[in-house]
Amino acid sequence: MILARHALRLVVREPRRSLAALVGTVIAAAQITSVLLFGSASGATVTRRALADLPVDAQVILSVGANVEATKTIVGGDPAVRNVVPFDLAHFDTAASDRAGTATQTSTGVIVGVDAAYVSATGLFQASSGTIAKGQVAISRDLASNLGVVAGDSITFSLPGGKSVKLKVSGIVSIAGADLVLGPIDAAHRAAGANPPTNVAVMQRADLESLVLSLIPAGVVAADPGTTSPGGAPVPSAGPVTVSAAEVAVRRELHLQLAVAQIPGDPAAAQLWLDTVRRRMEIQGAGTFQVVDDAQAALEPIASDLAWGQILFIFLALPGIILALVLSRLAADATADTTRRHVALLRARGAGPRDLRLVFGGATVLTALVGSAIGALIGALIGLVLFGGLLGGGDAVAAAIRAALIATGLTTILASFAAILPLRGQLREEIAAGRQQIQRARQPLWQRLYLDVVALIGAVAVDLLVGGQIRPVINTEGVTTVSLALTSFVAPLLFWIGGTLLLLRILGRLTPRTGRLAAGLGRLLGPGGQLAGRSIAARSSAASRAIVVLGLAISFATSVLIFNATYLAQQRVDAELTLGADLKAVPNAPTDASAISALAGPGIASVTPFVDRVVYVGPEAQDLLGIDPAGLTSVSPLADSFFQGSTATAAMDALKSRPDAILVSAETAKDYSIVPGDRIRIRVPDAAGVLKTVDFHMAGIALEFPTAPKDAFLVANLAYVAAQTGDSRVSFALARAGTDIGDAARRLAARAGPGWQVSDLSTTTARLANSITSVDLQGVVLIDLAFGVLIAAVGTALFLLAGLAERRRELATLVAVGGEPGQLRASLVGETLIVGVSGLAIGLLTGALVGLAFLQILAGIFDPPANLPVLPIAAIVATAGCVAAALVLAVALADRGISRLDVVGALRER
Amino acid sequence: MSAITCRDVTRRYEERGKAPVLAVADVSLDVEPGEFVAIEGPSGSGKTTLLGLLAGLEAPDSGTVTVLGHDLARLSRTERARLRQSRVGTVFQTFGLIASLNAAENVGLPLLLAGRPAAEIERRSAEALDEVGLGGRGSARIDELSGGERQRVGVARALAIDPAILLADEPTGSLDEGTGKQVLELLIDAVKRRGTSLVLVTHDPISAARADRRYAMRDGRIVGSTPALPGSPA
Repeated sequence: MILARHALRLVVREPRRSLAALVGTVIAAAQITSVLLFGSASGATVTRRALADLPVDAQVILSVGANVEATKTIVGGDPAVRNVVPFDLAHFDTAASDRAGTATQTSTGVIVGVDAAYVSATGLFQASSGTIAKGQVAISRDLASNLGVVAGDSITFSLPGGKSVKLKVSGIVSIAGADLVLGPIDAAHRAAGANPPTNVAVMQRADLESLVLSLIPAGVVAADPGTTSPGGAPVPSAGPVTVSAAEVAVRRELHLQLAVAQIPGDPAAAQLWLDTVRRRMEIQGAGTFQVVDDAQAALEPIASDLAWGQILFIFLALPGIILALVLSRLAADATADTTRRHVALLRARGAGPRDLRLVFGGATVLTALVGSAIGALIGALIGLVLFGGLLGGGDAVAAAIRAALIATGLTTILASFAAILPLRGQLREEIAAGRQQIQRARQPLWQRLYLDVVALIGAVAVDLLVGGQIRPVINTEGVTTVSLALTSFVAPLLFWIGGTLLLLRILGRLTPRTGRLAAGLGRLLGPGGQLAGRSIAARSSAASRAIVVLGLAISFATSVLIFNATYLAQQRVDAELTLGADLKAVPNAPTDASAISALAGPGIASVTPFVDRVVYVGPEAQDLLGIDPAGLTSVSPLADSFFQGSTATAAMDALKSRPDAILVSAETAKDYSIVPGDRIRIRVPDAAGVLKTVDFHMAGIALEFPTAPKDAFLVANLAYVAAQTGDSRVSFALARAGTDIGDAARRLAARAGPGWQVSDLSTTTARLANSITSVDLQGVVLIDLAFGVLIAAVGTALFLLAGLAERRRELATLVAVGGEPGQLRASLVGETLIVGVSGLAIGLLTGALVGLAFLQILAGIFDPPANLPVLPIAAIVATAGCVAAALVLAVALADRGISRLDVVGALRER
Repeated sequence: MSAITCRDVTRRYEERGKAPVLAVADVSLDVEPGEFVAIEGPSGSGKTTLLGLLAGLEAPDSGTVTVLGHDLARLSRTERARLRQSRVGTVFQTFGLIASLNAAENVGLPLLLAGRPAAEIERRSAEALDEVGLGGRGSARIDELSGGERQRVGVARALAIDPAILLADEPTGSLDEGTGKQVLELLIDAVKRRGTSLVLVTHDPISAARADRRYAMRDGRIVGSTPALPGSPA
């Protein structure tokens, strides 16, 4: 009890000591809290974005004979449901047209029945041209293309069960975003990654009932979509669908839109909430319907991605947190005089070594607890200001409290250990000094074991062993997910630890020699400069620690900046890869290549045509991308990593040099055992949709390509494909913006007219919501940078203040023998220059190297991976400027300490 | 002109929550050029504070201190520092040496601060070390020197600037009797040779007995002087 009171008294009555010890703990706790809150905010952002993109949150599949209105009443009454709209769907076996005497037929597809309210509520099946007229059908662009029909023509749909219906086409509808509602609903097909149909017709729901459903016998099943070719010719079942079980021919559904505001921001909690809602509705339905939870399916991949995201955010902040805790060591140096005085006082009162440890240990834990709580509060406030809006009211406060509690607990433990270690040494020294023991200084254990060298070798080994193997993976739904292994973090971490220890070793040898700098500094700063060089040499271990803390703080800030810049660049590459270029213009119906050149003009730097056709390599359907190699390189960014065993330039040159050259995917090359130079025969649809065999020569392997799907695809010369098939129509145009992408998109849309849909990079980036690649890192980067600069400033200030505390008598002597205020200031500036310049040089160098090591982490997040890190020079210079400004403040603080020095009192101290 | 003139000088310390302590109260004294003045008194009598006031290291709450014709209150901190660099030497009980500098560098420190050329600093430091009997020990580290040697370095540093005034605060207080006596002799001989005024703060009557004039202090006040000042207690 007495010891506890002493500990409390030590904390309260020595505010300078307590404040110094608090600084690092406060910074660490604030950083942990704000980073945790950023993690929660990013989770909520990604969850909301993923759900906002869903046109339909859940599909209620009615059993045969179930009452639609009764079911609508049940599900519509659920408090979580915002809107209920009916949806009917019937499969057809073939669709055929007889336009201008030419008979054309397609494979399977679906006819959808919806009301006008459905279109306005979900945004699906919007008419691109014409309308969904009564008694007629509006059809998808693919169906129109496959049959070569336009509004006013008629299509004959062969229905399951043998009957057929002839319907007039009233318009073209977009089926963008409708994959979920058009695709199969049975688990087997979904798990096999079955593609939704592209041959789609849409009509008014009442018309579907009277004109189509009445012709399909109850219980009949639809033809398997994988067993017929687009032209109607039977092909072996191949491609992504391997399930042979066919779906029922008719589906009656209710589509639900949920009250998104009620859904928790955390994806895992959101999934739980959605599961509860689904079960609640199904129990009420008593088997008359089944709920397919599209929202939950959409959240599944992002839940695990975000777990990795949280680890990544913490990992990015980890060096800062460690450094903040290391400040405790500098704080112990800065307040060594107070500790010494208290040890002497307590020993004079009869305290033994154990009592001293208990008093100082108790004070340390108390300080750590108070510091952690203050830091957590500050971090929560910072987090709420920066990310509160993303989290939303109640969620924000709950997340802030949770993060603050975790940070307080964690930091209390870590800070207690971090502070107790140097304190133990200090107490041991004090006790040993009391016994007049002189101990020979020994190298620390890590130096004797060469742990620095071991860690660096380990970093290189891990990088070599696993560096190239980490790539994002495509899950069974075809969604790219993050593929991070713990090994992704090992190389940067080992490099950081090894580098730090090696620096300490080197600086420990170099700083005693800084006396030689004295003459140089003397020329620069006068006598004060000379004294600075000698002072650093005399305090070599403290100076080494300060240089390392400053250097690593700058390294931390630099590496975070490099990571962020590379992340942003990759985010752009990701979007560019998805979209193909800055801008993409898609005509409502395939158009002639000559129309593309009309899109060029002011605001658009260049435009190139692009063809995307489904072709057959053997029985396997693949996307053939027809390009103009010269035009594409001026529009789309092609990275060397897109091509296996080649570069982007070499691959495009190969296409240019031979008209029939073709790039194939790695999978195709492997499956068919083909190598560059081999002849490949591919069946390509001609203008009438009839498959025609065309010869190509393999020119190389493409792993990625703008607009290409993740799996099998082919890249060939557009002109050659057009010449061989007699079809010169193009699928879309890609364009590079002149300056501003938004402005270019507006100009392009105006030039193209209403028959085209124009999309740009910014909208594509926002749509990449199903992985952490869509997370905006700016918040966490800002936090990490601010703390990095703060740590650098506090570290240097503590070093200078420790110098003042250690050298009170020396400074007093300097004043007494005629040291001028300006000379003493110059001495401080000189010391800060040595520490600052060394720290900056070390920080920038190691920051760049750690940034390079971060590429391994980015390789697990982005596909394609980054080739080289991006160096944000302006941001790095600005950060270094902030650090320099902070160092000036630290000098001013120390200068104030000197001016307040009790010279006479200090000169009498023994 | 007196080397030092001190008139009605008072210095009090105030600590929050405690009653003010009157360290020096209404002290007036004169030190003539070349005069050896001793200030005696028990611990806590205000001797060191008075010396700090004479050196311009502290400012009085009231009264004036004039050193070599300069009213210290009218000088800036830098000007007071320059006065100490060139005209006022100081010797401390705890030596006041800088551990990161060797003996010669410690001696040359005031000259370095005064911006003297390196060659002059080297020459004058060597001469001063010779004078205190430490010729050839200039490159020695401070922790290699004995207590007596350290104080000799302190004296050499004060002498190196060829001061007009030398202020010494119990220079023998940390030394054994024999060594203390040697150092004191050295100091007194050196100032006599130069005609430097010496103000010696001490509680050792034997040391004080060597002075031309002795002031006795108690509770911050001068309670006596020898020879007696006109109108003051003997």
